[in-house]
Amino acid sequence: MALTPSPVLRLIGAAFTHPGGSGVTGLDLTVEAGTALALIGPNGAGKSTLLRGVLGLVPLTAGTMELGSVEVRGADGASGPPVPKHTRNGMIGFLPQSSELDPDFPISLEQVVMQGRYRRLGLLRWPGRADRVAVRRALETVGLTSLAKRRFGELSGGQRQRGLLARALAGEPRLLLLDEPFNGLDQTNRDALVDTLRALKLQGVAVVVSTHDLELAKEVCDLVALVNGTQLAFGPVDEVLTLGNVQECFDGVEVELDEHTLVVPGHEGH
Amino acid sequence: MAWRSNSTSTRWWYQGTKATDADIGICDPGVGEWGPMTLVDALFGAFALPFMARALIVMLVLAVVAGVVGVLVNLRGLEFISDGLTHAVFPGLAIGLAVGGTAGLVPGAAVAALAAAVVLTWLDRAGITSDAAIAIVLTAMFSVGVIVVSRGDEYASELEALLFGRVLTIPPESVVPLILVCLVAVVAVVVTMKQQLLRAFDRSGSRAVGDSALVLDLVLNAAVALVVVAAASTVGTLLVLALLIVPGAVARLMTERLWWLFPAAAGFAALMAWLGLALGFAGSVAGGVDLPAGSTIVAAFVAGYGIVLLGRWIADRRLATKAGVPQPAGTAAR
Repeated sequence: MALTPSPVLRLIGAAFTHPGGSGVTGLDLTVEAGTALALIGPNGAGKSTLLRGVLGLVPLTAGTMELGSVEVRGADGASGPPVPKHTRNGMIGFLPQSSELDPDFPISLEQVVMQGRYRRLGLLRWPGRADRVAVRRALETVGLTSLAKRRFGELSGGQRQRGLLARALAGEPRLLLLDEPFNGLDQTNRDALVDTLRALKLQGVAVVVSTHDLELAKEVCDLVALVNGTQLAFGPVDEVLTLGNVQECFDGVEVELDEHTLVVPGHEGH
Repeated sequence: MAWRSNSTSTRWWYQGTKATDADIGICDPGVGEWGPMTLVDALFGAFALPFMARALIVMLVLAVVAGVVGVLVNLRGLEFISDGLTHAVFPGLAIGLAVGGTAGLVPGAAVAALAAAVVLTWLDRAGITSDAAIAIVLTAMFSVGVIVVSRGDEYASELEALLFGRVLTIPPESVVPLILVCLVAVVAVVVTMKQQLLRAFDRSGSRAVGDSALVLDLVLNAAVALVVVAAASTVGTLLVLALLIVPGAVARLMTERLWWLFPAAAGFAALMAWLGLALGFAGSVAGGVDLPAGSTIVAAFVAGYGIVLLGRWIADRRLATKAGVPQPAGTAAR
């Protein structure tokens, strides 16, 4: 590929801490254009906190975060969320867990996808032709063109998830953050999502995806970061996803790796 | 004879035995007595009277407000805050009236709304979500208002005027300021509309886009406060509340298409205000039943809500039987 490696996201000794005190620390990782990073760890390990921190929703309390050419430094003991200025330039797309959204809200899929353009539009401008084109293209990418006028809440869980991916794509991001995108997806929707992510990588989009599905990490991602309150390991998939590392990360939880279901010691040991 | 609105109460005022043309306008039935009022007279003729026309104009302006601000109040789930503001404005109105007469109404309401907005925002930010705590504060405010009013001589009519307003005795000179204040509120909301909708739909998505939650909340709360202050002194606190909440709820029942919510709510508010005014006029003047205008309008709103709710329930049931699957009312039927 003709893409010169350029870091889209780099964390150096970074920590993101909620005002309540919980958070994730010791983050040292780099994601380049056209590559994908899987954040792996058990529930409550701080994967979502990391993604929200990159978005500017959780304060950076230590270390440095570089987003493209923008550098953000964490103030020690900073209180309150920083103004997420760095997200305004339209480089980040975010796919939240769709269960957070109200299914009764009277809004069509198309209108949800258009929200992905708001960051580019700013407060006062209304969507124009270019925005409608981007929305149509994003819907084509995820294969939901025929459902554009449907109410968002009427869609199936998998379709909603793809719709939210389309919203993230409509902003034409350089960095795409996905929070547990494969949760509760059937095989069809899962395959569609995997294909879309692969296509995006080819277009040079950097992807960070939090998941506890190790197989998916292997299918889509080049890099893995193991996280459980702090960063335990970071590197290429083959090097990091070793039994020892995974055992350390998932202490006493059942995981699937290489078609074997492992019950990690700690579960049996007690 | 002539029909005038009483200058101190909200009641229709039946006066004299001989009418002049100017008093009746085109309502003149051409007979000595009104006799049985025709539907056309009640629905159209009545509004030739200046005070009726003024009432209708103000209500139509407020219908637009209901269509814009009210729908957002519904989508954002701000009914309770709106309720809080209107309750809080009540003692402000009462104290303003006691101190400065009718001229004191707007300043009193403005001060109270400001204080309430600060307190309610603080309660929200401090994470005090206890309905009981907020309800206690609001009940306290309301009783302060009632105590202040009850010290006056015309307790009953004052109380009614503060609750249901003076729809029929809106001074001509206060119509334009009311329209301007409503215009400011509507413009503020329309300008931030797409961000407000995003925040209503997806809080963290809204913050991720870089929108300030504080700014968006302030704009919307300020718009609600402006409308409450501007309208409470003319149409009363309860009518304002009905205008901010009922049409939005009705629109949600009528359509699931986002952009249809706004005309649906505005149209409903306008229609019900018109019917309410006409009904009050017909009942009071021809029917001999003394119907206060403000509360008749509120009753029309609530009745309209009931009808739409019933219609929605029937439509859902029909769709459910057609599909062969029982579905709970209110959920989307495809």
